[in-house]
Amino acid sequence: MKNPIHPAAASSQAFQIAEIRPIERLFEDDEGRDRLEKALSRYPEKRAALLPMLGYAQERNGWVSDESMEQIAGALDLTPAYVRSVATFYTMYNKHPVGRHFIQVCTCISCHLHEADEVFERFLAETGTRAGEVSEDGKYTVIEAECLGACGFATAVQVNDRYFENVTPDQIPAILDELD
Amino acid sequence: MGYPYSHDLEVNTLLSRHFGDEKARTLEGWKELGGYATLPRALEMEPGAITEVVKESGLRGRGGAGFPTGVKWSFMPQEPTGPHYLCCNADESEPGAFKDREILRWVPHLLIEGCLIAARAIRAEHVYIYVRGEFFPFSRIVTDAVVEAYEAGYVGENILGSGWNCDVTVHIGAGAYIAGEETGLMSSLMGGRAEPWIKPPFPAQAGVFGRPTTVNNVETLAAVPMIVAEGADWYRQWGTEKSPGTKLWCCSGHLVRPGTYELPMGIALKDVIYDVCGGAPNGKKIKAVIPGGSSTAMLTADELDCEGTYEGMAEAGSALGTASPIVMDEDTNIVRAMRRIAQFYAHESCGQCVQCREGTSWTAQLLHRIERGEGSLSDIDTLYHLCEQMTGRTICPLADSVVFPLRSSLDKFRDEYEALIRC
Amino acid sequence: MSDATNYVTLTIDAVEVKVEAGTTVLQAAEHAGIVVPHYCYHPGIPSRPAQCRMCLVEIEGQPKLQPSCVFPAQDGMVVYTTSETAETARKSVIEFLLLNHPLDCPICDAAGQCMLQDYAFETGQLRSRYAEAKLVLGRDRVADDILYFGDRCIVCTRCVRFMEELAGDNALVVAQRGHKAYIDTFPGKDLDNAFRGNIVDVCPVGALVHEDFVFKARAWDMDSSPGICPGCSTGCNIDINVKENQIVRTKPRLNPDVNSYWMCDHGRRHLVMANRGVRAEAPLIRVDGELEPASWNEALTWIAGRLEAGDGAAVVSGGAANESLFYMRGLLSELGIDGGTFRVLQGEEITLPGFPKLKLRADRAPNVTGAELHGFKRSDELADVPDGGVLIVLGDALADAPADYGANAGFFLCVGSHLYPAMVNATAILPMTSVLEMEGTFVNYEGRVQRFHQALRAPGVARPAWMSLSRLLEHRGVGEGVLDARAAFQTMAAGTTGMDNLSWSGLGLRGELLSEAGQPAVAVE
Ligand SMILES: Cc1cc2nc3c(=O)[nH]c(=O)nc-3n(C[C@H](O)[C@H](O)[C@H](O)COP(=O)(O)O)c2cc1C
Ligand code: SF4
Ligand code: SF4
Ligand code: SF4
Ligand code: FES
Repeated sequence: MKNPIHPAAASSQAFQIAEIRPIERLFEDDEGRDRLEKALSRYPEKRAALLPMLGYAQERNGWVSDESMEQIAGALDLTPAYVRSVATFYTMYNKHPVGRHFIQVCTCISCHLHEADEVFERFLAETGTRAGEVSEDGKYTVIEAECLGACGFATAVQVNDRYFENVTPDQIPAILDELD
Repeated sequence: MGYPYSHDLEVNTLLSRHFGDEKARTLEGWKELGGYATLPRALEMEPGAITEVVKESGLRGRGGAGFPTGVKWSFMPQEPTGPHYLCCNADESEPGAFKDREILRWVPHLLIEGCLIAARAIRAEHVYIYVRGEFFPFSRIVTDAVVEAYEAGYVGENILGSGWNCDVTVHIGAGAYIAGEETGLMSSLMGGRAEPWIKPPFPAQAGVFGRPTTVNNVETLAAVPMIVAEGADWYRQWGTEKSPGTKLWCCSGHLVRPGTYELPMGIALKDVIYDVCGGAPNGKKIKAVIPGGSSTAMLTADELDCEGTYEGMAEAGSALGTASPIVMDEDTNIVRAMRRIAQFYAHESCGQCVQCREGTSWTAQLLHRIERGEGSLSDIDTLYHLCEQMTGRTICPLADSVVFPLRSSLDKFRDEYEALIRC
Repeated sequence: MSDATNYVTLTIDAVEVKVEAGTTVLQAAEHAGIVVPHYCYHPGIPSRPAQCRMCLVEIEGQPKLQPSCVFPAQDGMVVYTTSETAETARKSVIEFLLLNHPLDCPICDAAGQCMLQDYAFETGQLRSRYAEAKLVLGRDRVADDILYFGDRCIVCTRCVRFMEELAGDNALVVAQRGHKAYIDTFPGKDLDNAFRGNIVDVCPVGALVHEDFVFKARAWDMDSSPGICPGCSTGCNIDINVKENQIVRTKPRLNPDVNSYWMCDHGRRHLVMANRGVRAEAPLIRVDGELEPASWNEALTWIAGRLEAGDGAAVVSGGAANESLFYMRGLLSELGIDGGTFRVLQGEEITLPGFPKLKLRADRAPNVTGAELHGFKRSDELADVPDGGVLIVLGDALADAPADYGANAGFFLCVGSHLYPAMVNATAILPMTSVLEMEGTFVNYEGRVQRFHQALRAPGVARPAWMSLSRLLEHRGVGEGVLDARAAFQTMAAGTTGMDNLSWSGLGLRGELLSEAGQPAVAVE
């Protein structure tokens, strides 16, 4: 089990990370049970632990599979359909596996005013992928993102749980090098 | 202090004084800087007295709407019949806004202290800090600070021996702008789709988990400790009668020094843009500014001499919003910029209301077609029609939000639309 | 309702209307005879998300148009449902909804009863200024018998909320968000709820359709008649849709005391199955050992002359109408036969949680209470037939009877609608209309007497059993034959304990409870 976390932190763990630790049954080991129990302890209603648990599934597996959704539904007394309805509402839950480095280029207005489209195209070119697809070596997925909340640092790029700011197209090879 | 730049026109209250100083992130460092000094005082005050100070200070909500904070708190039941909740809105997703993140990442304990004092005022037993999912590095910093605060007895049971209990939970979202709208936030916090609901019930009657709830923005709550410590008059030394105090401005787009700055309320928008941020780079002229985040009306370069207050910006035909000017220089293609903004709203509509669900996506597609040179003049009429039908028709103001920049761009830059149509 | 403060008076489109406080503007308008177009609001679904924004109206003093489905009526309020702003807003909702709509009315099953088509027509919107590519979703299956046409869906979420709030089964949801939102189930978990069919009825457009109904009939070439579902003792009020004398569809009909807006899927299937089976079409009498067709008069005379009082047994059905059971009782009394039994098929009981009065009840017959009221007893077994005695069977009681049942009887009269193996032993067979082919009443589980109308034409010369039995009695010199359902009912009501308070016209469309004397012994839930 990873270092036990404080209950106040059970609902705020980064869930888009490079070091996934795949697991089939989310709540059948100590870590999963601990995370569930701690998250549940923070809300008067079970259902409120849904986003934290979807996050946990993605933190472990890199994406949220139908099986994970069913397990979460079981743990929270929800229907799998309900869990899917919520999971598909939010853009950050990957409904398909993604590359180990999940690259999101903000192309929203402030970044758009600063070469964001070029940055995005360059990421695609350098990784040899089309938007949303996993590169052949499994390393990269590049997508366009809506505002990342770093507008003063355009172009903003998020790679898993990290921010890269003031990114210009020519910096991209160096960024990709750094990721490896 | 601004981040990453600072300027003479700035004020350095506790809100921004420690931006850029990593020391402030830890409990130890924060205490050395004088942190957690106000909480003990607040614990000795009657909840109503805290609300009164905040009311007198005239602090207005920094989430965009500018609702007077003390008044909002006074809507909460005075005699609790069960739990009350405080939601700290750290969903910051409005294009152009990136001020709350500076508070989250540089002065997390200031935010926690503000949350606790507010919770005390509204008799809340649990504070949920709802941070947008993408902010992983910043929610991690706030989470670490909360855990430290628990360990030091500032949060949890019997806080500082006062007998008062209050929990703080950091809860992260997962990619939805609409989770920043207060009822959307509560829907999301309850484990649902972040769909806003129609009021009534108002949050202070039946909010999250069906209990009385107050939702406040990060910057609002972070301003509370200094107001309670220094008093309403002190806070009112800045700004106007209707818009007192200081405000974080986050400036982006074509600027020499983009970033966040704490400025006194009432500063002229042109001073923020030209003096503080250095105007557009490379000697370019400015064409347009969206002053309060993407949901506000565009101003032309000639319209920037307006007072940076809620009332001043309204008078100028726009809104202060989150004080997040997006600056566009003379080379900017307004139609293309507007298309990009519309695309954001189409992507973020929760989809409940027909006008918003269909209208935002139609707007984005129509603008795209004009941008490609395939538009016709009647499309401009259609856009105006869309503005009409997306205003004041929906559950939440997301649909209205796209209308502000859209209508103003049509009014003020019609020639650019027509040029693309004619070519 | 003596307390005047419970009422508010408001003006809607210049009509003054007085309603109970707490009524919404939309409901108040309904009182005034004004229909405010709406999609997401459904009177039977508790939640009011006010999300379709179709019901916006102008209210004096309100800066914005307000959703009338949630806005409470207030004293002195002045409402305009057709002001220019309200009309334009409504028109534009239609325009928005039609953007990505395939406009495939010519092949849509809802055409003719579609709330989108209706309003689009009313607001005269036939052309769109939408020049963008339409989003295409195609069709999908949400249950083994229900298809979802995503492109027609207006995401009003009625279906989702029916499943969640009424059926208590959160298995149908909105997936995705914004303009990409659509209705879906979890992969591999189609709806299997016993009440799922109602989602088709609540859908205001043609997005959800029963697969067995797809392309079968157009709304305007169906006849519809009000009926009572014969599927169980609840007695749901239904409309039976018929094309070419075949039931193509049944829909629940509002009765707040019985089934609200809903019915169960067992009932729907049961009714469509009623089209099947081999029917008795003409009276048959045994001549020289063979069953031979005869005219009604011949047959009745023949039977009346041969039936003798004495030892006997009677078997009836919990599916027969009260009037038929009443005259059956009359015949039995005349022959000196006491008692009589009926069997009731038993099934799993399933409740609709959001309206618990509606249950698919264990007794899978519509008139168990009525049969008991007329002195018949429930039994697990078919009655024993005394050797050489009289056996009279009414209704479809012999479907599973052994082939030699009744062979030992001296006289075996069968009044039935379908032909079953044991009926070869009958001395005479009188063809009976099914309850779908006649008028009459049932008494449901709680003692509510409900009237049903004729939905289908009867085959051959089949007649309602009350008619043939009353005429048989007449042939035996007792009373007069009755030729219409009203007379049959009134004669019965006057002569039956518990029914003396009832009148044919008084039953209306909601039914009436038996008087206390006739109430079923089993406590009402
Ligand atoms: C579409 C939409 C998005 C919003 N996003 C945010 C947000 O990200 N952060 C925020 O503090 N307020 C946001 N708001 C405003 C909130 O609804 C709410 O008014 C605010 O959090 C109240 O806090 P305050 O009174 O301290 O300003 C948004 C409003 C709308 C309509
Ligand atoms: S206006 Fe848009 S975002 Fe707001 S509730 Fe309606 S559909 Fe959702
Ligand atoms: S399928 Fe029908 S009932 Fe369900 S959301 Fe779509 S239009 Fe509404
Ligand atoms: S509950 Fe009974 S009466 Fe109602 S529809 Fe179902 S079978 Fe028919
Ligand atoms: S019926 Fe009122 S908003 Fe849908």
